[in-house]
Amino acid sequence: MKHWLRLNRLALVRTFGGMVRHPVNSLLNLLVIAIAASFPFGFYLLLSSVATVTDKMPVEPQLSVFLRATATAAEIGKLKEQLALDERVAQVRYVPRDEALKQLQARVGSADLMAGLTENPLPDAFIVTARLDASPAELEQLRDTLARHSGVEEVQLDSAWAQRLHRLIAFGEVLLQVVVVLLAAALALITGNAIRMQILTRREEIEVSKLIGATDSFIRRPFLYAAAMQGLLGGLAACGIVAGAMWWLNPAVRDLAATYGEAFTLRMPEPAEIVGVCGITVVLSVAGAWIAVWRHLHRHL
Amino acid sequence: MIQFQQVSKRYPGGIDAVKQLSFEIQSGELVFLAGHSGAGKSTLLKLIAGIEKPSAGAVLVNHQNVSRLGRKALPYVRRHIGLIFQDHKILFDRSVFDNVRLPLDIIGFSGPEVRRRVLAALDKVGLAGKESSNPIALSGGEQQRLCIARAVVHRPAILLADEPTANLDRDYAHDILELFKSFHQVGVTLVISAHDESLMADYGRRILRLKHGEFTA
Ligand SMILES: Nc1ncnc2c1ncn2[C@@H]1O[C@H](COP(=O)(O)OP(=O)(O)OP(=O)(O)O)[C@@H](O)[C@H]1O
Ligand SMILES: [Mg+2]
Repeated sequence: MKHWLRLNRLALVRTFGGMVRHPVNSLLNLLVIAIAASFPFGFYLLLSSVATVTDKMPVEPQLSVFLRATATAAEIGKLKEQLALDERVAQVRYVPRDEALKQLQARVGSADLMAGLTENPLPDAFIVTARLDASPAELEQLRDTLARHSGVEEVQLDSAWAQRLHRLIAFGEVLLQVVVVLLAAALALITGNAIRMQILTRREEIEVSKLIGATDSFIRRPFLYAAAMQGLLGGLAACGIVAGAMWWLNPAVRDLAATYGEAFTLRMPEPAEIVGVCGITVVLSVAGAWIAVWRHLHRHL
Repeated sequence: MIQFQQVSKRYPGGIDAVKQLSFEIQSGELVFLAGHSGAGKSTLLKLIAGIEKPSAGAVLVNHQNVSRLGRKALPYVRRHIGLIFQDHKILFDRSVFDNVRLPLDIIGFSGPEVRRRVLAALDKVGLAGKESSNPIALSGGEQQRLCIARAVVHRPAILLADEPTANLDRDYAHDILELFKSFHQVGVTLVISAHDESLMADYGRRILRLKHGEFTA
């Protein structure tokens, strides 16, 4: 155990020595790792920021069918029948104008909403929930069909854009997975290559060490430390890059969201996420280094 | 201590460097290995250290079959062997001191023990005071002494020296051989190769003569 600690301390000393001796190379490697890691991480934060908003939105596509004030009971009955038969429709709820007003008052939280009004200005309405798997095109078709009905004043397709956004996010998540896999591979290759360069500059030392009784793990250890250090610093730098990018983007994002009446900003990395990102970059770097050393040892010695 | 049983070594390309060699070297013995260039001297020493694997036969060191040892076990056998390479394998990117400490680092020595042993080894080979020099600043003979210091710093039981007297004048070569004799006197098993047999004659030891990979009388 003491022996093992000593070997590790020795390896660490050699690692730092190497990094200090080649500061420009070390810095460049670190930046490449940081930039490679900042893409998926930034993308992830962007997605999860948007998701916090969309999670609060209704997913089921809804249509509000507002009736004409002049609509007859026969017309309303016929419309109800038509909705019940339509296979694009999952659920129908009739909201009379009085109930709509009450809901509105409850939501706005003011009893004197009616001050100055002699009459309830809201129309009777059907709230139609479409089938969850209805495509945006089908929903638009449904809206147009309903709008042509004689008793109907107006049809609003409430959640079509929310549904689109949900799908867009689902697509983004898949895209993120692809990006993560590709950049993870790139990251392992980058560190693997950086370590390969370090191996080449120390080729003779490795050869002699091996000949006079060094184990593979003795040879490997300093390179794994170097890779872990690179991965850790690279991961931290990636978090810094991402936080900086979010800070830079946020004023513009806030203004854009305001035009939709939403208070929305991109969120900053959380401590747990920083730990996660650094963990991943460290593991990938070490894996890349391991492979580089293994290949060198088994090909040449 | 060292035993060869019908050992042959064929390199890729079909050259038989050593053929059907059988011999034994006792613990504490000093043996010379003579032969022309290409006779197989370096190959024989590499077989002992497990650097080359025999194509046939068995090489036993300390009753262990070196040729059968795996990647994991071999390093521990090599730590009992001090190696002086024909091509020196000195690391010119570090000081004399750091060259000599390498075996100690590998074994896991630390602290003042390292310094004490390195300085003792350098003193023994006559390089006291040169520890912070770069090896490039040493003469050929001094570089040879550096190699010897690195080979003995961890006090191995076996010392294999591949042409340690090459390119040295006669007097200097004798100094080096005297050094080896002093290791022999403290019980180290030594195998020393050279193609100049006249040097060995003065020492009256056993001489293994190789010719095209085979022993001659
Ligand atoms: N790695 C190798 N691959 C192929 N052939 C080799 C290799 N090493 C040595 N040989 C061949 O094996 C034979 C013996 O070589 P070895 O180096 O053992 O000779 P030596 O007695 O040490 O010669 P020298 O006095 O020149 O050092 C030579 O013919 C050489 O060409
Ligand atoms: Mg030779």
